[in-house]
Amino acid sequence: MDMTLNAFTLSLLTGLQLGSIYVLIALGLTLIFGTLGVVNFAHGALYLIAIYLAVSINNTLGFGLALILVPPLLFVIGVAMERGLIQRFYDRPHTDQILVTFGLAIVLQELLKWIFGANNIPFAIPSWGNGIVMLHDYLPFLEGFVVYPKWRMILVVVAIVTVSAVFALLHLTRFGLVIRAGMRDAEMLQFLGVNINRRFMVVFGLGAMIAGIAGVFGGPVTQVSPEVGMQLLVPSFLIVVIGGMGSLGGAVLAGILIGMAQSFTAPYIYLNTIIIYLITVIILLVRPRGLLGAKGVFE
Amino acid sequence: MSVTATTAPSFFSCRELNAFYGESYVVQGVSFDIPEGDIVALLGRNGAGKSSTLRTIARANQPALSSGEIWLNGQALHNMKPFEAARSGIQLVCEDRRIIPGVTVEENLILAQIAQPLGWTLEKIYSHFPKLEERRKQEASTLSGGEQQMLALARALARDVKLLLLDEPYEGLAPVIVQEIERMLQEVKKMGITTIIVEQNAVAALKLADHAIIIDTGVIVFTGTAQEVLDNQTLREEYLAI
Repeated sequence: MDMTLNAFTLSLLTGLQLGSIYVLIALGLTLIFGTLGVVNFAHGALYLIAIYLAVSINNTLGFGLALILVPPLLFVIGVAMERGLIQRFYDRPHTDQILVTFGLAIVLQELLKWIFGANNIPFAIPSWGNGIVMLHDYLPFLEGFVVYPKWRMILVVVAIVTVSAVFALLHLTRFGLVIRAGMRDAEMLQFLGVNINRRFMVVFGLGAMIAGIAGVFGGPVTQVSPEVGMQLLVPSFLIVVIGGMGSLGGAVLAGILIGMAQSFTAPYIYLNTIIIYLITVIILLVRPRGLLGAKGVFE
Repeated sequence: MSVTATTAPSFFSCRELNAFYGESYVVQGVSFDIPEGDIVALLGRNGAGKSSTLRTIARANQPALSSGEIWLNGQALHNMKPFEAARSGIQLVCEDRRIIPGVTVEENLILAQIAQPLGWTLEKIYSHFPKLEERRKQEASTLSGGEQQMLALARALARDVKLLLLDEPYEGLAPVIVQEIERMLQEVKKMGITTIIVEQNAVAALKLADHAIIIDTGVIVFTGTAQEVLDNQTLREEYLAI
């Protein structure tokens, strides 16, 4: 593989940027998975709702309001989805959960297609985020004119901040302690007087809210069309599996891994299409619980 | 104004409990009362329905309660969820201890103090269980079996416990450790906490208990004092194999 330093750096950045979107979606997915034990195939649809809400608000009221409104709206939509539908399937087999969430995803996708049409809606990037970054200014070892879109850099920063915030919430707060413990033994927490289901409902909302943040910043990058949800769902789901069910660290690691793999195999079209599955197969053969999967979670 | 003699309602009482897993009833028509401060040994063979009875009282989702009433200190538990029963004073120290893995010893205790009403403070727990203080920052699942049992008991005392349900507290422990746990349970007895103990080691349970209930295939077959069971050889042979 003959690669210049310039090309390598660009592939690295693209890998990070791809990984960022995957991580933001996989983070919510793995949180919901680890706490509620539900395979939420409608999570891609939550991202879809987020990008359509974001583009509608952005193109009329401005980006600032989209940023303020979309994540809390997604939180509310997530909680409503959990209370209204998903909670009825907790005691049902996983196949039922997959069918109902997948069905919901299709309904939401078609609904959005009906309202907004099947074509991509242009997402106007706010002026402060527009333009390109001259990489040579920051990385002097690069030669010549190497640039990267500023917005994609911002997306990476947003992912880092969001991931850090979720980790802080889970590891530095009492709420986080209850959630981490609840992932391991929800029944025991109930025996200790904790209304764990109410907290898990909040986690579902948080997962949706992260999809909301992903939508606000990812919309301009992934485009705004009805197929985007499903396109992102499959890799995100595999990332959850590769990382280890319910493991946030695993989701981050696997998300970056898959992003990098896709970015670096981009020139080789055949390899590029199968690389995610290839990695999944290899990792699951070596580590059936995934990279950082804990014993007892979702088993 | 006439004075009518009424018997005071029992501190704990369950009436005609029926509970099932899937298709099979594991608790059938179980009724008994416990006065405040008493310790009852719930005995019977493997699979007789002892643990299921405790789980039913703790209002676990499985086995599901199909009919019957559970009263504790004037509160109706039969319509409660498990966390509500816990808040009303039920504390189930589960079979296998159910120590939360992935968090520390101290965090296991903190988790017992998320919801009101609370019992012992951490300081009080550590003064009674110095071993737990030594290991407070340690990952809880790395504790030995005896230490885990200690933590499970301490976790229950961290809550305002009105009825303690002990499910196989001696299970899988070395004889020396069993003695240590026995001493701890004698202390609990002195505190006057109303307790139901389920134990394969019937003799050990009867040493602790005031009363005994023997259960067979989900049905109560004997109720009496602990001493009566120890004295009645046919009863012991038929239902307890001791």
